[in-house]
Amino acid sequence: MAWFWLILAGLFEMIGVTMINVLHKQQNWLSLVLLIGGFGSSFLFLTLAMETLSMSTAYAIWTGIGATGAAVVGMVFYEEPAEWKRLGFIILVIGSTVGLKLVA
Amino acid sequence: MAWLKVWIGAIFEVMWVIGLKHADDMWSWAGTAVAIFVSFYLLIMAGKELPVGTSYAVFVGLGTTGTILSEIILFGEPIQWMKILLIGILLVGVIGLKMVTKESERKGAEQ
Repeated sequence: MAWFWLILAGLFEMIGVTMINVLHKQQNWLSLVLLIGGFGSSFLFLTLAMETLSMSTAYAIWTGIGATGAAVVGMVFYEEPAEWKRLGFIILVIGSTVGLKLVA
Repeated sequence: MAWLKVWIGAIFEVMWVIGLKHADDMWSWAGTAVAIFVSFYLLIMAGKELPVGTSYAVFVGLGTTGTILSEIILFGEPIQWMKILLIGILLVGVIGLKMVTKESERKGAEQ
């Protein structure tokens, strides 16, 4: 069950980040509420996952899903640049972040 | 200027991560809440000018780096070579993203 909460937390983090794009396109209260709701639910599910999983594992996987998912959604749906150099650097950043959370 | 918002946002992220771990009275919890607000505000504002996926990766990466460094400096966590190596790789990625993003903005302006 903890893994289910963790994946859900990662997905809601993705939603939260994606709402930043939505907010800049349509500046209304709904986008803002969904942004706060997305990050809020994400933290809630992360806390639930951490009841059984170790903190470093949970943090690492949560960040990995959220940051990778947000980058992919931005490139696929919001026309964010996706040249190979950028992909390489994003992989370096996310990969080392996940590594740091696992080591810590 | 937009990158500066991401970097300062990451510093506030470090503050609230430390706050969530160590806050124990009303003032430190209030400070933590303010830091959460400021860090996300800056991240959202940076998203006006920078691709959101790129800026979020840098935001989270620098926040993690800052948290690990502050645990070593402020709370006496041991220095591990693995941590230093990973921080080095992460900074290469962050600097790289800054360079390619500037490049693509300039190209966009020329067209």
